[in-house]
Amino acid sequence: MAEGSSLATGLRRGTLEFCVLAMVETEDRYGNEIVRRLGDEPNLAAGEGTIYPLLSRLRRSGWLESKWVESPTGPPRRYYGLTVTGRAALEHFRSEWVSFRQTVDRLVGTGEAA
Amino acid sequence: MKTNQTDVVAAYLHEVDQRLAGLPVLQRRELLADLAAHIAAERAERNLASEGEVIEVLERLGSPEAIAAAAHEEAGTRPERPRKQVNWTVVAIAAGALVVLFVLCGFMFFAQSSSGPAPAPMSTEAPAEPAPEPTVTG
Repeated sequence: MAEGSSLATGLRRGTLEFCVLAMVETEDRYGNEIVRRLGDEPNLAAGEGTIYPLLSRLRRSGWLESKWVESPTGPPRRYYGLTVTGRAALEHFRSEWVSFRQTVDRLVGTGEAA
Repeated sequence: MKTNQTDVVAAYLHEVDQRLAGLPVLQRRELLADLAAHIAAERAERNLASEGEVIEVLERLGSPEAIAAAAHEEAGTRPERPRKQVNWTVVAIAAGALVVLFVLCGFMFFAQSSSGPAPAPMSTEAPAEPAPEPTVTG
């Protein structure tokens, strides 16, 4: 559709999943918490519901694990946590991202030094 | 009130489900279960009473189109094949309808102009019969 939204889609692709992994790095969180937090960032998500297919893929690829837990205030919650390979993938992304960002900043002229 | 809320949610989930055709069945069920659990948790934990508040939850989730598009993208290239098949059947049906139309038009034209050319073959057959007669006499 609009060029702005396709740019956002392109930038989101490949980065959003690591934002999800980082959200559950230190503690397990349930679906509503994760999608609400990411849904508050219009740059990152087109809607809270679009995060659930991503959570599904990350679980199927073995980076996340999930378990249903009873809740005192409502229906059972599905909690997500990082697996060992998910933690390694997040660390790998962090080092790649820093050098990637620096390269783009240098070439596009968006770095602080520029 | 409660039934109205349930109706709105059921209609929303149905709209999503309709757009998930072509997705592996387990992923399809998982997504619908996740969305249903999300809505149920929001309603219970935030004590949502009115239909307007439930609709707000659905609006934050996003349009059924956007959610289905995300699901198809995460699933890979597989869901795009059924879509193409649907497109091809539509094209085939349209092409078939056009052919039928042309054939009908052709029949109409022949039916209208049949009074003209119809006698012509009769006249060519007519001299064919008397033709043997002279050879017998000769």
